[in-house]
Amino acid sequence: MNAAKELAVGSHVAGVPYLLDDAAAQAYERGLKHPPRRRPRVNIHTDRAAASRAGFAAPIAGGEQTIAVAMQLVVDTFGERFLHGGGFEVALIKPVVFGDTIAAHARIARAEEDRLELDVWVENQHGAQVLTGTARVRGAQP
Amino acid sequence: MAEHTAGKDQRVEMRAENLHQGMRLGPVFYIVESQQISAFAAALHTANPLYQGDSPLSPPTMRLNDYALLIAQHFKGGKGGVHARHRGEFFEPVRAGQAVRVDGTVTVTERKRGKFYFTLEYETRDATDNRLLMRQAITSVLINPQGRLA
Repeated sequence: MNAAKELAVGSHVAGVPYLLDDAAAQAYERGLKHPPRRRPRVNIHTDRAAASRAGFAAPIAGGEQTIAVAMQLVVDTFGERFLHGGGFEVALIKPVVFGDTIAAHARIARAEEDRLELDVWVENQHGAQVLTGTARVRGAQP
Repeated sequence: MAEHTAGKDQRVEMRAENLHQGMRLGPVFYIVESQQISAFAAALHTANPLYQGDSPLSPPTMRLNDYALLIAQHFKGGKGGVHARHRGEFFEPVRAGQAVRVDGTVTVTERKRGKFYFTLEYETRDATDNRLLMRQAITSVLINPQGRLA
């Protein structure tokens, strides 16, 4: 979809809710290029005790996956206009626990001659924001 | 740059005292694989046609993880970190079969409210002609050797 011509300032798009459970995390891991490891990872993403020591109630999902869900909404809405000359800046403001269902949102904040500025955010199933930030895509005209 | 020479691991421990502003990491070289693109797209539940066909494009966030390759090349051990902020600029899509080079620099190290933050800025370039493909910056809170955010 390449919808910028149809989307006016203030328009809002939302992604399909995404269940970020163990299966989703494992699927995501399969899509990454990993450094070689000598031992299995034991960290805040994989181990309850490690998560607890760091102050989390349970192992948390990697922030990258939440960012990926958010930015996929931008790709699915604007296509290559995001990949050529686009960008984003986000803050991960609340942990995502495995089993949470997250949903990405974007709103056209500003339209300039050569680009669109978007507000982006991701909410969990309780309506709490877990990611907030901005993204930009090239304008519809070359 | 830390290297694996003669089988001896010369990497340094991943801890605050070993992270310094201006530290350069990389380069890391690899070839983007179409299977990886398919797996990543499947994980995001997207059927976007950009990621399909004979010469699929890489989802832009598939390369976020390049920071982990840079860190693993230079550091060992450690308890990881908590991803706090991320910035990305996309100049040109990365394609399946493309050889890429990743270089990074630690640009910020600071203690705030008892936590140690560091920012790693990194670039992904075409390995054959050096075209800039993406520029990113990740800010993380380091987990200390005791496993705490401090």
